[in-house]
Amino acid sequence: MKTETDNINNELMPRTTGVVHNMVKLARNTRRWIYFRLFRTPIDILITCIISALLLQFLPKVLAWLTWNSVAFWGDPNLCTEEGACWPFLREKIRLILFGTYPFSEQWRPALACLLLVGLVGLSFTQLLRLRSTVIVWTIGSVAFFVLMSGGSLGLVEVDSIQWNGLPVLLMLSIFSVIGAFPIGILLALGRFQKEDPVLRSIAVGYIEIVRGVPMVMVLFMGLFILPLMLPESMNLNSLYTTLIVLVFFHAAYFAEEIRGGLQALPKGQYEAAKSQGLTYWQSMRFIILPQALKCSMPGNMNTLLGAYKDTSLVVILGIHDIMATAKMAYSEPQWQQYGVEAYLLVALWYFCTCLCLSTYSRKLETTESKAAK
Amino acid sequence: MKSTAKLFAVATALTITASQVQAGAVMDDVKANDEVICLVNPNSPGFSVPDSQGVFQGFNTEFCRMTAAAILGDADKASIRGIGFSDSMKTIVAQKAHMASRSITRTGTRDANPGMSFVVTTFYDGQGFMVPKKLGVKNASELSGATVCAEEGSTTLLNIADWFTDNDMQYKVENINDKSARMQAFFSGKCDVLASDLTALASDRQLAKTPSDYVLLPNIISNEPLTLVARPDTAFETAIFWSFQVMLNAERLGVTSENIDQVVADLDNQPKAVQRLLGSDSAAGEMATALGLVDDWSYQIIKQVGNYGEVYDKHLGSQTALDITRDGTFNALVSNGGLLYPHPIR
Repeated sequence: MKTETDNINNELMPRTTGVVHNMVKLARNTRRWIYFRLFRTPIDILITCIISALLLQFLPKVLAWLTWNSVAFWGDPNLCTEEGACWPFLREKIRLILFGTYPFSEQWRPALACLLLVGLVGLSFTQLLRLRSTVIVWTIGSVAFFVLMSGGSLGLVEVDSIQWNGLPVLLMLSIFSVIGAFPIGILLALGRFQKEDPVLRSIAVGYIEIVRGVPMVMVLFMGLFILPLMLPESMNLNSLYTTLIVLVFFHAAYFAEEIRGGLQALPKGQYEAAKSQGLTYWQSMRFIILPQALKCSMPGNMNTLLGAYKDTSLVVILGIHDIMATAKMAYSEPQWQQYGVEAYLLVALWYFCTCLCLSTYSRKLETTESKAAK
Repeated sequence: MKSTAKLFAVATALTITASQVQAGAVMDDVKANDEVICLVNPNSPGFSVPDSQGVFQGFNTEFCRMTAAAILGDADKASIRGIGFSDSMKTIVAQKAHMASRSITRTGTRDANPGMSFVVTTFYDGQGFMVPKKLGVKNASELSGATVCAEEGSTTLLNIADWFTDNDMQYKVENINDKSARMQAFFSGKCDVLASDLTALASDRQLAKTPSDYVLLPNIISNEPLTLVARPDTAFETAIFWSFQVMLNAERLGVTSENIDQVVADLDNQPKAVQRLLGSDSAAGEMATALGLVDDWSYQIIKQVGNYGEVYDKHLGSQTALDITRDGTFNALVSNGGLLYPHPIR
């Protein structure tokens, strides 16, 4: 749909080539885009006006706070004012936010441990390794992570887990809880999606529905206060490991439901075909059903994984110092009390970047999987 | 009869030996590991907050350092760890730490727990009120009908209820658990009064745009003796108690970390009390032998940590952001009208 002015412009303007032509084309396209997207109907015009007014109201202030009114990262913190962000605060506190009260001279260890975990996740995403080598690499990596963090061997100073703070705690809780939860989720899903054993089935259903029916905060509290009562007294689990165990069992229920969806989505013929080949239950699951079901449920699983990752920040309420708690520590010192926003912006940036990576990966996975299916 | 008495004597002797062996266990553990594991609040401005290197700094951490200086001769051998309130009690009872210096109020029921001992009160806190200056309120008895902002689920609310009912006044409470939200509500005028412990109020005031627009009322409606907690061990507890007395005596006698070397160099011309405090063959020396402390423990405490007044001024005093008044409060020395009473080192 061309407007009248466009036609006139076309007639008046001589045919130009090269840069000028492209620029004219670009200008026309832009104008058209603006007209069609923003001002086509009276309602569009109204919405555009309202949103622009709001943006004009707030955007300059936010931008000013973030940039020209702020004190640069390498600047002098004494120049910080209320009008702008105080980036030198982050320069001063970055290591506290990342590693908390881990002994300062030993902080290369949590740094290395974090790199290790992030590297392992990245490596698994490339899908270069087969399942067996992935398991081996992760086992070695996890042992290395705990040796690095706790020390006490290989000439490393022992560091009590009370002093583990910040990023390594976040990565450890989120990654290991998901790794632990996924196999349990598969078993729960299989338990729920079968008819031979009604007892097993009702146990799986009961477990999944109870866990999914209560808020995570409550499960965390229950775990912290009730789990120690069930264990023998000599097993004095510290709250970090208790939380990890609780998270594993919590996320397992969610994975179970996603995987059950995958199991249900498979055509019945697949099950019958597996049976007709004379495969046992476990063989048919291992070779026929699960590979397809897991593929089907991948988008849902990635969704659960993202949620699990972000929910990890709730452990703050149990007195575990993940990156949210260390951000709070950073602006608790009396002379830095005003700079909470800067600290939380850094944490938000971390979460945003990592979640973006995860969701991009899952979208890529979906497209490759669906292409492969075709 | 005779044999019963004998048996009794043997039994008593056995109990005494047993308890003596037990008594030194924590002290021995500290020496064997060459560190004092000391629990603090992970996030309490002025009292214990990690600095940019992740090392805890603040008023409460100094008593961890004091203990390490007295027993091990080096204040830096205090391994200071931040941990939540209920976890810290559990950790002490589970024998995973030696002491806690984290503003724990000494109460009867807590003291009745055999797994932990309250040793000595380092700070007398109490619940108070903060109001905007423009309200013109001078005393909490003028607060009838006020809206009070307070933290949900704390003893704060119970104390407020007690106080307002006892004084026959109406009030409304805004329970806001999150600190930032509570501050926002108070500074924006949604509540007239903010109620909390005095030390917390002093640090909260710093969050205001102009802190001087807000005043703390003189009424203190609860007693909060913030006390050091140790794992039960007579020798260890005695060491902490008397180390604290050294800090009080040093302030009373005007000995500081700055001037202590001059004082020691010229010890013979010092008052007798100073000689007893710092001389090697004096009362302090005898105590060191009896308690198993380093020989010059009193010197090390004052040199490395400072006297009580120095520590107070450094973390809470008028030149800090917290600016918690000391003169005329319970936390002054007895000679200045407070409750801190230096016990005699002799």
